[in-house]
Parts: sequence; structure tokens; C-alpha cells
Amino acid sequence: MKMVQIKDMKKSFDVEVLKGITLDVHQGDVLAVIGSSGSGKSTMLRCLIDLEKVDSGTVIIEGDPLVQDGVYVSQGEIQKLILKMGMVFQHFNLFPHLTVRQNLELAPKLVKQQDPKTIRENAQKYLSKVGMLSKADVFPASLSGGQKQRVAIARALMMNPDIMLFDEPTSALDPELTGEVLETIRQLAEENMTMIVVTHEMGFAREVANRVVFMDGGVILEEGTPDEVFGNPKCDRTREFLTTVLK
Amino acid sequence: MDYLGMLQQLLKGSGITIIVFCATYVMALPLGMLVTLGVRCRFKPLKAVLNFYIYIMRGTPLMLQIFTIFYGLPFLPVVGPYLTLTSRMAAALIAFTLNYAAYFAEIFRGGLLAVDKGQYEAAKVLGLNRTQTMFRIIFPQMFRVALPSLANETITLVKDTSLVFVIGMGDLLEAAKNIANAQATILPYFFCMIFYLILTTVPAIIFKKLEKKYSFQ
Repeated sequence: MKMVQIKDMKKSFDVEVLKGITLDVHQGDVLAVIGSSGSGKSTMLRCLIDLEKVDSGTVIIEGDPLVQDGVYVSQGEIQKLILKMGMVFQHFNLFPHLTVRQNLELAPKLVKQQDPKTIRENAQKYLSKVGMLSKADVFPASLSGGQKQRVAIARALMMNPDIMLFDEPTSALDPELTGEVLETIRQLAEENMTMIVVTHEMGFAREVANRVVFMDGGVILEEGTPDEVFGNPKCDRTREFLTTVLK
Repeated sequence: MDYLGMLQQLLKGSGITIIVFCATYVMALPLGMLVTLGVRCRFKPLKAVLNFYIYIMRGTPLMLQIFTIFYGLPFLPVVGPYLTLTSRMAAALIAFTLNYAAYFAEIFRGGLLAVDKGQYEAAKVLGLNRTQTMFRIIFPQMFRVALPSLANETITLVKDTSLVFVIGMGDLLEAAKNIANAQATILPYFFCMIFYLILTTVPAIIFKKLEKKYSFQ
């Protein structure tokens, strides 16, 4: 089943950052999106969850259009589609005025209006899943970057999304803290979660992803299995990029 | 020297001071918040009007504003007769509220600017609507940033209440002045200072507590 379909997606800020992206993501895919800074990776991801509006093209989430040939569906429909996805940001974006537990419980309470008992149980479940149960009642300010990101992942999972979007989840972390976050994402992959991971972690892309997309200058230059893209890249530009980052 | 009488007069004067302070505070805080939101709204004319209002309130002396509202408004053509205030207290409260709301609005605006864009984005992807985002995510963080400036402004307000002398309201400072004149001593001014110190210490302590509570550590 196609979870995400992108057709000829274009987006400009001052310059054109996405010059016609076409991409399908299937159920259970772990798609790693790699490429140099400014290649449009993050923008593409942000367009999927309506943090940026596309200029033209089509985005279909689980069969329902978010935007069709540049025309967006109603606000209500958009809201429903947003809730099918969970997003994890580079800078975590935890709510600093809420404890870890409150960070997790806020949206299920306000948006899904689940009963408090279910919410409490889910919070316990996801906090222990990311190994943060012992920090449930502290404020984010006292956590390390890696811990913050694991809490952010748990917070996204609380909404029970079908698709998880990761926007450079380890880029703001000290190198020794990336491991714990990547391990959590790897765990999700093993549970067959559909994921799109924009990342600079080539090792992670190679090991955990089942598909890799290389973006450059607003287009997808290369797409394939990790072995294909890393082992035998077709484009010179891909080869050049990989040589630089793997050096 | 009649210390007891002096103290009684000062206490009576500080009653006026406290009323002006409390009433202004209660009205100016919410009004300031509304102005902040108005300035940020997309409707250009409202934005322009509110910015002009802030410009006037910050750009002219509060003393003059109090004076103008009590003595000046009735002289306006056409609407003047309807704007004649018989109550000095009412005139003072209107002037103080309008003036302080403008300052509070700017403080809140600064607080809002300090909230990271990522907070709005996180709220959005979690499905929170606009109202939920503002009340549950943005305002608490804005409040924390605004606290030190609010504390400052609050203490200033306590002292600014002495400006009501321009419409002869008999506040704390006025009381001190009267005693000083009548008894030819500057002692009441020292007492007056102590009174003001006590009055400013209360909000200072409250704000310290609030800052601690909202440190989110």
C-alpha cells in the first residue's frame, strides 16, 4: 500500500528549492533522504505535513490528497491528514514549560480527547520504549540533547501515527549522543513503522533504511536500495557527494 | 509633633495610591494583552490604529495624559460635552490604564517574539488548533519571558501613581506634602518614602516568586 505519493511537487521561496519531486513511499518503508545542505530534503519533508505549502504538484497521504495539482483540500481534511503523521524535528521542539510527561500527554488530551487512563498508560508505554520513564516528571531543560530527542519521538508516537517523519533528528546532537536516538529509530523500523528520515548519518541510512533517495539542487537524482545508492551510484554527483561525506 | 496624625494621613493617602495601582493593574494587563494580539493580527487598519495608540502613549508624559483626560477632553469640539468626567478617580484610572496597557502590550509583544517558531510547528503537527496552541503553548512561554519586564513596570506603576497630584487626588505623596507644608517639616517625606518602599516591595517579592515558579527547571 502506498502511504505517501508525491507527484511533481514544486516549491519556491526566493529561489526554487523543489523542482519537481516525484516519490512513492510504501507501507513499512524506511526511506532515508540524503543530500547536501540546501538540496531541498527538509523542505520536501515539511511540505508533506503542511509546515510549508507547495506551489504546484500533488501529495497523497494514504490514498487521500493533501494537495492535488497545487490545490489544497479543506482545512478540516488537512488536519486529518496531519494526524496520520508524526514529526520529529532537528531541534526537538519540546514544550519547555511542560514536564516530559505533560509533553506527551497534551496532544492526546486536547486533540484526541482520549480518557486520562489510556493517555497515562500510553505515556508510560512510550516513555519506557524510548528509555525515558525515569525522567517523566522533569522539565526538558534538564535533559541532554539525545534524551530530548527520544522524548520528542515518544511524544509523536502518542498520537499513534501511521507515518513518522524525521527532519535531521541527530544533526543538533553531540556525536556521542546520536547513537541512542538512532537506536530508537531503528527499533521503530523493526516494528515496521513507515518512516521518512532526512539524515546526514550515512551509516544509519545504509543499515536501517530499505530505500535511499539522494537529492541535489531540488531534484531527486538517485533512488534505490542502500546497496545500489551507496555501493554503485549511477550519477557522478551522487558519487562525489558520497566521497565527500564518507571521507 | 503629632506622629499618629501624620501616620493616619499618610495611610489615608496610600489608600488612594493602592486603589489607583490595583485598578490600573487589573484593567491594563488584559487590555495590553488584547493590544498585543491586535498588533499582530493581519487586519492592517487595526494594526495601524493600535501602533499609533502605542506611539502616543509612550511618546507623551503620563502626567500630561492624566491632565488632558480630566481637564482637556471637555474642550473637544462636538464630542467634548459627553467626555466631561466629574470623577477625578475615573479620569486617573482611564489615563493610567491606557498608558500602562501600551507598555504592557510592548512587553507581551517582546515575550511573543522570544517564543521559537519551532513551538508553533510542534503544536501544529500534533494537531493543536490555534486557540490551543496560543493558550497551552505560546502564552505560558511568553509570560515567562515577560516576567522581569513586567516586574519592572509594576514597580514603576506604584511610583507613577504619585502623578495623580496634577488633578489633586490626595494620594500618598500629596498627603506627605500637605503635612510637610502645614507643620513645616520634611519628616513626612521620609515616612512617605518608607511607605512607597513597602508598597513596591510587595510586587517585587511576588514577581520573584513567580519567576521561580515559571523557571521550568
